[in-house]
Amino acid sequence: MKRTQMFKLGLILAAYCIVGCVGLAFVYNGTSKTIAQRQQADLQAGLKEVFPKATSFKPTDKVKSTNPKIVIDEAYLAIGSTGTMGTAVKAHGPSYGGDTTLIVGVSTDGTITGVKILENKDTPGLGANAANPSYYVNKATKTTFAGQFAGKKLTDEFVVKKDVLAITSATITSRSITSIVQTVAKASADALGIGGSEQDPKAVLPEADTIRPAATPMTAPAGVTVLDTSVGTKGGTVVGVVATAKAKSYDGDVTVMVGVATDGTITGIKVVTCTDSLGSSILTADFAKQFVGRKAGTPLTVGTNVDAVTGATFSSKGATALVQQVADALAKALAGGGL
Amino acid sequence: MKRLFGIFLNGLVVENPLFVIMIGLCSSMAVTTTVANGIGMGIALTFVLVMSEVIISAFRKLIPGSIRMPIFLVVIAAFTTIMDLEMKAYFPALSKSMGVYIPLVVVNCIVMGRVEAYSSKQPVLDSLFDGLGMGLGYTWVLLALSIVRELLGNGTLLGFQIMPSSFEPMIFFILPPGGFLVFSLWMAASNSLKRRILASRHKQEDLQQSCCTLPADGTAEKA
Repeated sequence: MKRTQMFKLGLILAAYCIVGCVGLAFVYNGTSKTIAQRQQADLQAGLKEVFPKATSFKPTDKVKSTNPKIVIDEAYLAIGSTGTMGTAVKAHGPSYGGDTTLIVGVSTDGTITGVKILENKDTPGLGANAANPSYYVNKATKTTFAGQFAGKKLTDEFVVKKDVLAITSATITSRSITSIVQTVAKASADALGIGGSEQDPKAVLPEADTIRPAATPMTAPAGVTVLDTSVGTKGGTVVGVVATAKAKSYDGDVTVMVGVATDGTITGIKVVTCTDSLGSSILTADFAKQFVGRKAGTPLTVGTNVDAVTGATFSSKGATALVQQVADALAKALAGGGL
Repeated sequence: MKRLFGIFLNGLVVENPLFVIMIGLCSSMAVTTTVANGIGMGIALTFVLVMSEVIISAFRKLIPGSIRMPIFLVVIAAFTTIMDLEMKAYFPALSKSMGVYIPLVVVNCIVMGRVEAYSSKQPVLDSLFDGLGMGLGYTWVLLALSIVRELLGNGTLLGFQIMPSSFEPMIFFILPPGGFLVFSLWMAASNSLKRRILASRHKQEDLQQSCCTLPADGTAEKA
């Protein structure tokens, strides 16, 4: 008796579910085309918005994200009357309340042509203002949060509250989106073959007039991957060496470029990338500046002789440790000769 | 007809789901940062509430008591998904700005509460008017909340600049604490109105009832 009762109840529940599913299937069939069309139209409009003068968009698979949390969905080459004008990339990455999806346009001269936010799940009225066309971060010029990126150079710092205006009461959203825009823009620049000046070793070894690849790459310290070793010369004489190296940091990787003069002085450093959460804030020139003039071989410690970037202490520590390791190894390589 | 109209009016003030029964507060606090979201959410919930109440009331004799909850959920979830899809197709901007709160209507206490307390026991027509009344009662509260919050917190109404440009938006009202403050002030106003309505009713019907308790038919308690 009990068993038949159970079966009966199960069947009744199943009947309700089947009716519900059939109803949903009809509605889904009726709306899915419209929804897909809307999304496609949104995408086309977004691409057009970042490249108004482009006549067509050709899919490309050359744009690769350097940060595993930021995913490139679709990438297009913007084709204009004069040929390739740049790239328009649709990507998504983590923000405060979930993933934010946006389109970033980068022109062949290394400038961001525009940013359009397609989807943002942050707090309505606060973080969601990132996607609000009538929310202005600069009321005088009527600039929206995404709008301020148009015309920005890839070599800029991309630091919220410094060269990027924040959304009021939504600093995390502002930082996350800025970081996505920067990562996507750099990936686009790499795909376009215009790496940006941060790859230029001269930036950290200003004394040199020519930079050539080193004959033997620097010996990598434990846990460090050396990406590039170069030698800087002035009038034929070696004035210093530059190395780009990568190591694990807080919860991602950090890549730095370090220049060391022949007397073992650090001539300059540049944090190239940092994939830690909120780690992009250590990409500032201010953080890099404090290493200039330090001697390789003297200990560098965050908190005593190196100032951490607020909100990114662990990333600052990771980068500092890497700078020290690379500087020491470079000094050793200089002393050993054979570059 | 007068009786049905009474059921409808009940949801507006005397048995308002937000101010008197006090259920479904979280989503109402979350979406009322802008008027557009408030209206959208109100209409969305009214649609789901009316459709679910009518269907469940029509099938109420075919729903075994021991599995009524899962069946209610299937019905509510089906209508919520229908509305979610329709909104995505025809009101994409609104659907985008409300995000996750639309699918979350499935677990909104107001829908579950009214279905369980009212329409699973009452005839179809009564349920229809109850759904409309409750839905409208919900919508006007969201509208009232969002008008104050958007105006003071952002200086705009429906996206149009209302306040003079010298007005510095008070972000406090967009944040949850401001939401609670506005909510409580509106609730005080609504409950004082409710008290007056009940008092005049008592005079007419000479019912013995304290001004502050819920209606004698007990529908509110069960919810």
